[in-house]
Order: sequence, then structure tokens, then C-alpha cells
Amino acid sequence: MDHEPQPGPRNRSRRTFVLRVLGVIAAQLGLGISAPVVGFGSAPSWRARTPPRLLSESVVPTLRAQGWTSVGRIEDFEVGVPKRVAPVRRVVDGWVTREEPIAVYVVRRSGSKAVAFDPHCTHLGCPLQFVEGARVFLCPCHGGVFDSKGSVVAGPPPRPMVRYETKVEQGEILIGALEE
Amino acid sequence: MRAIGRWIDERLQLSALVTAFLDRPVPRQVGWFHTLGSATLFLIVLQVVTGIALSLAYVPSPDHAYESIAFIDTMPLGAVVRGVHQWGASLLVLVVGLHALRVFAWAAYKYPRELNWVIGAFLFLVVLAFAFTGYLLPWDQKAYWATVVGTNIAGQAPLIGGAVLELLRGGQQLGAVTLARFYGIHVWVLPAALIVLVAVHLFAVVRQGIAAPPRLVPLAQPMLGESRRAAYEREYAAEKHVGKPFYEALLPDAIVALILLAIVLAAAVIIGAPLEERADPNAVGYVPRPDWYFLDLFQLLWYFTGELESLLIFGFLTVAALVFVLVPFLDRNPARHPRNRPFALNLMGATVVAVLGLTYVGATAAPSGLPVVPAVAGMSADELAGLELFNAQGCTACHSVRGVGGSAGPALPEPDAKWEAERVRRLIVSPEDEEMPAFDQLSPEELDRLVAFLLSLKPGSAP
Ligand code: HEC
Repeated sequence: MDHEPQPGPRNRSRRTFVLRVLGVIAAQLGLGISAPVVGFGSAPSWRARTPPRLLSESVVPTLRAQGWTSVGRIEDFEVGVPKRVAPVRRVVDGWVTREEPIAVYVVRRSGSKAVAFDPHCTHLGCPLQFVEGARVFLCPCHGGVFDSKGSVVAGPPPRPMVRYETKVEQGEILIGALEE
Repeated sequence: MRAIGRWIDERLQLSALVTAFLDRPVPRQVGWFHTLGSATLFLIVLQVVTGIALSLAYVPSPDHAYESIAFIDTMPLGAVVRGVHQWGASLLVLVVGLHALRVFAWAAYKYPRELNWVIGAFLFLVVLAFAFTGYLLPWDQKAYWATVVGTNIAGQAPLIGGAVLELLRGGQQLGAVTLARFYGIHVWVLPAALIVLVAVHLFAVVRQGIAAPPRLVPLAQPMLGESRRAAYEREYAAEKHVGKPFYEALLPDAIVALILLAIVLAAAVIIGAPLEERADPNAVGYVPRPDWYFLDLFQLLWYFTGELESLLIFGFLTVAALVFVLVPFLDRNPARHPRNRPFALNLMGATVVAVLGLTYVGATAAPSGLPVVPAVAGMSADELAGLELFNAQGCTACHSVRGVGGSAGPALPEPDAKWEAERVRRLIVSPEDEEMPAFDQLSPEELDRLVAFLLSLKPGSAP
């Protein structure tokens, strides 16, 4: 014999019970679906990384390259005068690895020392332009100015220009990774 | 045809719903200003449709994005579809902003429509997020540098900056992962949010009825012992059942949509969709500038400089966004007519002026360069030539003259310095301090003029 559902007190409590159970199941389904998705999507901001996060590396948009790359012979550089070079480096970009010319300013110091700068503003990453006469790097965005040692001369940049690891071997200037 | 329609309606029983929707009364004063809402909806539909079309040929990878966009431009109507998408985006930002202003001025965010303002405010932010993520996709110079700057601004946020930056870029670097991510957000995440928000927004508009323009003297004055709210309830209830049928109000909506379509199509056909050089992180001399709707923010960064910059800018932006979203809860003034809301209207006016002003200054500003010291009256030809050299050689990067210039070197002239021509000459060609570059490449004549200019700054010094 079929029962018509009766709107009695027993049924009402049954109704509340079923709705509660449905609510709990719905919450579990929602959590089960969203946890891996949200986790995957937000992973870049919390996963542990080696080497650790470097702020300067994030501000300049230059792609990371591996190993040491020659940028020229030291005698081709005038002492104290930044010179633009574009060594071809093997850069890693997500799942892509390719060879690409990288913009670098190299300054020969007295003797056989050299420093290499990444030419991007440490404020917001805009491309710096070198002014020959004044020997300063200018940012076209918000007026940042750096001198030929990479120090901030004017404007909003919070840090000096980002440098590359440099070494000189047999008269050859080599650049490595970006320094903090 | 009619028979098929009837057959379908027998199954779906839609006609009663449609009739009720079209015939429901809306306030008689609903007019041209109210078309901004439907215009927003129209432009959103336009963006969705053209966006889907573009996705048929676009590849979100740095190796191919730029080339696929350039290829779309060579396909029949490709440039037009891309143009409509780009110009439509600009127009959408403008129209959604005007819609918000209209609602604000009419006080249509007050009871019972507070929630719908909040949803609308989020819709506005979603539209901006669409603009920001869509920007990168062509992978041209403008796209690339706007994203470098935009993500770096987010990265300056106190404490969470680094995490936000990596969340946006999909890692520390801006590259292939970022492009794929922006594409996914642009075509899946934001549209999903958009559809839900638009649906709830429209549902509420239909459920609550369109707000009548505020009257200076309310229809229903509070009766003795009655709250303002209850009085408004009566006015609201009375208004909901009078007015003109909705289809009358749809007429101006349709006309405005037609005009907008004509504008966007004309811009797409005549101007097209600009595409700059391929993105190049190693570019020299490129001047990054965002599209007009982010120029105000870009320009704002000129004024927030120094140690506290990031704190100030984020404090300011967070407060501004919160105030915008929470307007209905912050504005406790029950009055609805603009004349009875001087503070709210002044605040709105000030905001509009500030946004327009910043945008204008940002749009007309030259790329930031070295400071330029202006000439003053009474300078000789040699001194003028010297001043020009002083500006052109970049001395102003480090020295200030009459308050203009950088501060790495001393302001010139130094008050206690003993200057005569030979000494100043020597100071320029072979400075005592290695902080100052040696300007030994200048010709003797150039040096003479530079020295003449410098000495003219110090009255009484021997020439
Ligand atoms: C990179 C920054 C920089 C630039 C560019 C620069 N200077 Fe200087 N200058 C300095 C510094 C630092 C000093 C202070 C060192 C000293 O007193 O010897 C200085 C000192 C001087 C002095 C000596 C002031 C005094 O009374 O002792 C003169 C004159 C001068 N600069 C002129 C110029 C001129 C002209 C130019 C452009 C052709 C120029 N400078 C470009 C940094 C700079």
C-alpha cells in the first residue's frame, strides 16, 4: 500500500534531517572538487622552491639563463664606461628552452675586474636607457635614474640595478646568474 | 512558422513569462540615462561573441601568440573581429563606469538595492580584470611591458606582494607560464564569474523593479510615528505597479545598442586593432604605457614615491576599492535626491575630476627623461648655449639648478665654493670625486659655454 507523505511532525523532522545530510554532502562535494583545483591554481605562490625566491629577480623581467656566458674580451672595454652587449644565452621559460640575445651592460673596473648590469628599472621593471654624456641609466616610466655604478641617483627605484655574477678568465669577461 | 512557435511554446510554456517580462511596468521617467545598463550588457555580449571567434585562431604561447594574432589580421574579417574586441573593451570600461555613476547619482543603490550595487561593483572590477588579462595576449611590446609593470605594481603590496606576484605570473618570471595563465583566466575564470554576477544582477533588477529617479519631495512622507523606511516601502510598493510597460523602455536601449555597434564597427574598420612589435624583454628605448583606462593608476605612481610608496599606494587603492564596493553601507543618508546629498555628489564629482585629470596628465606626459633646467631672462647667447649643454649632457641627473634636477651631486652653485673659470673647467673634465663622471669628451668651445653658464649662476665670481 502506497503512503502519501503526511505533513506531520515526524515527516517534518525527517525533512530537516534529509536536508541537513544533503547540505553536508554538498559541502563535501564542493570541497573535494575545489581543493585540488584551487591548490593547483595558487601553487606558484606557496610551493617551496630552490633556489629561494629573490625579489630582485622578480622585478626585472629578464629570463633566467644557465651557466657562464662570455660577453667579450676585457681589453675591448673602456674603464668606467658601461657598454651594451647582447650575448646569446640559453634561457628557460616555463616548458620552453631557447637561445636568445640578452641585453647586458658591462663596465670594466680598474685592472682586470668587471661588473655586469641588467638594464631594467628596479622600481617596476621598465627598460632602462643609457645616456652617453652623463653616463646615467634613465627609466622612461617614473623618472628613475641610476649612475654607471648602478646606484640610484634619482626617482623611485628602491634598489640599485641588478647585477650579474661576473668573472674574468684569460682576458674573457663571463657572466653567470643574476645576483640579489 | 507560427505553428512551429506554437508547438514549441506548448512544450516550454514560455510565452506567459515573456509577456509578463515585456509588459511589466517600469517608472515613467526611465529614459536615456537608463540605457547605460543595457549598453553594458550589450557590450559584454559583443565581447563574449568576438572573444569566442578570436579563440578559434589564437595560440597562448610566447612562440606563437604574436604570430597567431598577426595571422588573424590576414584572415578575412580577422582584423575587424579583433578590432571590435579591442575597441569594444575600451568602450565597455567607459560605459560600465558611466553606468555606475548614473546609479550613484540617482541613489539607486539605497534600500532595497544595496546588494545589487555590491554585485555591480564586483562586475566593474571583473571588467577591469578582463582588460588587464586580455592585454597580454597579443604578446606585443605594449602587452608585454604593461604586464611587467602591472604585475610589479601588485608585487609591491606589503607582506603579500611576492605571493600575489607569483600568483599572477604563475611563477617568478613573466613568460610562457604567465601567458597560458592569463589566457585561462581571461577565457574561463573571468567569464564564469561574469556570467554568475550578471545573472544575479539582472535577476535583482527584474525582481526589484527599476529604481525611479529620486523626487525632491518623496511621494510618501513618513506619517506620524512611521519610520522613513516604512514610508519608502509604501512609495516603492506604489511605484512598482505603475508606469509604462517595459517594452517602451527597451526602445531607447535598442537604439543605443545600435549606435554603440556602429561606433565599434567603424573604429574596427577604419582604425583597426593596433599591434606593436613582438614582445622583447631586451628592448632598449621602449617607453611602456598602458591603455587609457590604466593611465590614471600609472600616473598615480609619480606621486607616491619614496619609502612609504608601496604602503601608501596599497592603502589608498584598498580603501578606494572598499569604499566603492561598500557605498550603500557607508552612505547612511536616507535622502535620494541629488540636491539633498551634497557630500555624496561632491565626492563623486571629485573622483571623476581626479580620474580624468590623472588620465589626461598621463596621456600627455612625455616619457620621463632627465630634468630640464629652464632658461631665465637676461642670459647671453653663450650662457644659453651652456645651459642647453648642461641639460643635454645629463648634468641635471645629478645636479639641481634653481631647484630643478637630481640630488646625487651638489646643487649648483655650491654656496661656499670658490669658482673661477679654470677651476670649474677642471672640475668638469677631471672631477675630484669619482662619483661624478669625467666629461673629457667635450670640445673646448663646449666647455667654454658650459663654464660661462655655470659662472653666471654665481654672481660676483670672476669670469
Ligand atoms: C652621475 C652624477 C653626476 C653627473 C651626471 C654630473 N655630476 Fe657634477 N658632480 C657630481 C658629484 C657627486 C659632485 C661632487 C663631487 C665633488 O665635489 O668633487 C659633482 C661636482 C661637480 C662640480 C663641483 C661643485 C663644487 O663646487 O665643488 C661641478 C662644477 C659639476 N659637478 C658640474 C657638472 C657638470 C657641468 C655636469 C654635466 C656636464 C655634471 N657635473 C654632471 C655628480 C655628477
